[in-house]
Amino acid sequence: MDVEMSLGLMRTMLLIRKLEAAWAEAYFREEIGGIPPALSTGQEAVAAGACAALEPGDYVFTTHRGQAPQVARGLDPKRIMAELYCRRAGYNKGKSYHVTDVSRGVIGMGGIVAGQVPVAGGMALAQKLKGSDRVSLAFFGDGASNEGAVHEIANLAAMWTLPLILLCENNGYCITQPVAVAVKAVSIADRAAGYGLPGAMVDGNDPVAVRDAVAAAVARARAGRGATFIEAKTVRLGGHLAHDPQSYRSKEEIAAAWQQCPIKRFRERLLTEGLLTAEVYARIEAEVGGEVAAAVEFARQSPFPEPREAFEDLWA
Amino acid sequence: MFDKRLFRSGGKVSPREREWQSFRGAINEAMREEMRRDPAVFQMGEDIAGASPFGVTTGLAGEFGIERVRDTPCSEVAVVGAAVGAAIGGMRPIVEFQFGDFLSVAIDQLTHQGAMLRYLTGGQVKVPIVIRLPCGGGQGAGSQHSQSLYSWFAHVPGIKVALPATSMDAKGLMKSAIRDDNPVLFFEHKQLYRTRWPVPAEFRDPDHVIPFGRAVVRRIGGDVTVVATLTMMHHALAAAEALEAEGVSVEVIDPRTLVPLDTETIVESVRKTGRILAVDEAYLTCGIQGEVIALVAERAFKALKAAPRRLGNPGVPVPFAPPLEDAVLPDQERIMSAIREMLSA
Repeated sequence: MDVEMSLGLMRTMLLIRKLEAAWAEAYFREEIGGIPPALSTGQEAVAAGACAALEPGDYVFTTHRGQAPQVARGLDPKRIMAELYCRRAGYNKGKSYHVTDVSRGVIGMGGIVAGQVPVAGGMALAQKLKGSDRVSLAFFGDGASNEGAVHEIANLAAMWTLPLILLCENNGYCITQPVAVAVKAVSIADRAAGYGLPGAMVDGNDPVAVRDAVAAAVARARAGRGATFIEAKTVRLGGHLAHDPQSYRSKEEIAAAWQQCPIKRFRERLLTEGLLTAEVYARIEAEVGGEVAAAVEFARQSPFPEPREAFEDLWA
Repeated sequence: MFDKRLFRSGGKVSPREREWQSFRGAINEAMREEMRRDPAVFQMGEDIAGASPFGVTTGLAGEFGIERVRDTPCSEVAVVGAAVGAAIGGMRPIVEFQFGDFLSVAIDQLTHQGAMLRYLTGGQVKVPIVIRLPCGGGQGAGSQHSQSLYSWFAHVPGIKVALPATSMDAKGLMKSAIRDDNPVLFFEHKQLYRTRWPVPAEFRDPDHVIPFGRAVVRRIGGDVTVVATLTMMHHALAAAEALEAEGVSVEVIDPRTLVPLDTETIVESVRKTGRILAVDEAYLTCGIQGEVIALVAERAFKALKAAPRRLGNPGVPVPFAPPLEDAVLPDQERIMSAIREMLSA
């Protein structure tokens, strides 16, 4: 494994974890209110790996649990945090929880489960019609995988050979509902065959495995060979939202899930393989911590939008 | 004299009318010109490249190819979503639904995704899409193929709604719709498709557009203002013509777009006539008719000489059998009766 790439993945996952932890802390001390934070804790490897396989000009469409791809695509943590603090300096000027930066190809969606997936297909269609080799990637969850929107766009993407990557992030839970009571099939990725698409299941807590699977899908899309359906099996270590005490999960189950923590696993692997030392890890952690602290400070210092701005940005 | 059966049969074209522009041909011409002008414009819909159901896209696939005139599976959610995504990716999609009622299947993609995305992203994206929606009753097409659902969508922030009633407007408003950077719903009354209308010289000018938000006074009158769109506008004109013999002077206003709505023209008219009748095939409850009446009541209450009136579908599905359908939808006779009642009140 490449050292630089490995350390990059490590850093991205740590930044996601710490940025989201700071967001949750702000919520718990009631510095911010509204809908509680939807954290990606335990799922960082999916976004880190997937986005490492993308290039500038490619697009990702995020879910309600969308901070991980924002960080992984290099958005400024300060402006992400400002948005989550509902401030004017946030990427969406305080108008949404679903951070968007079109210039980096991150379209924040997800207020309606699966709503972003057909739109991601449309972005892939735009690339095809324009003769571009850029690709579009839709993140969605195991819950969304049962929505008609996913089935419809998967079929259309197959019919039209669209440069689309359908990345199902199966974290095992749709709010309180275990995937086993919502999906009869053993594998969501097996549905790909029904759409006429290649499907792959990957260990979603291994950022390198995710990156490799997505890189293969990207290469296929760039070559004009169409869409791919990937299921990344991962774990949700926290609740559905930050305040969720997870009374529907046993302590044993949660403890077992923590053994799958992608940051823990990747750190141990890199240490074993000699690609990381405790000193380097501590340095990355300190850097990331500083970046997150600066982001929180920036958000706190940023003003709220003016009331008149509620009436702006509707019409083009 | 106007005959609503003309709309029902769609036939009987006189030699003089043959020289005129058909409504569906006007839409076709607008799309053809805009596709020639702007390579970002493309189309999606069921059967639009081959056997276009109402003949509106006839010939376009031949000129522009099936990449730009794309037949789609029966998959409304995917197609509207694909339009939204393609639009934020720099394209300008036009979507055809065989019947406008089918938009119900894709409401989330249109309203929560397409219409809200610009606002939610703080103005980072544009969503220039046009969705063409054959609508309206009078053809025995049945309850799920005959509705006039624009009030549903005018209710949602971020969607423009066009309601053309003539060939000239069909072309000019379609060109405005395609050039607009926002989602536009373009409602096409099925009874109008085969109708033909004389058009002025500027109809042939590929740069002539009809801007949204400008109503047209179709007939000048002093006793009552009738606001009506699509075929109801023609029923209102026929009613006005017939009432002239009774000494009643009716002003007929065609708003042409529901969002944006030219409130000024309507309110000014009511300040003159003192009476307002809003007519539409839409369901009355929370419908376009009530919106027009409310705006008038807010802005010109003191000018009113009689209680405002609404005509519309009182709240049953549009029935299949013609006698039942006729019982539900407004027409020239009902418009005349309502006006007589308002004047004698």
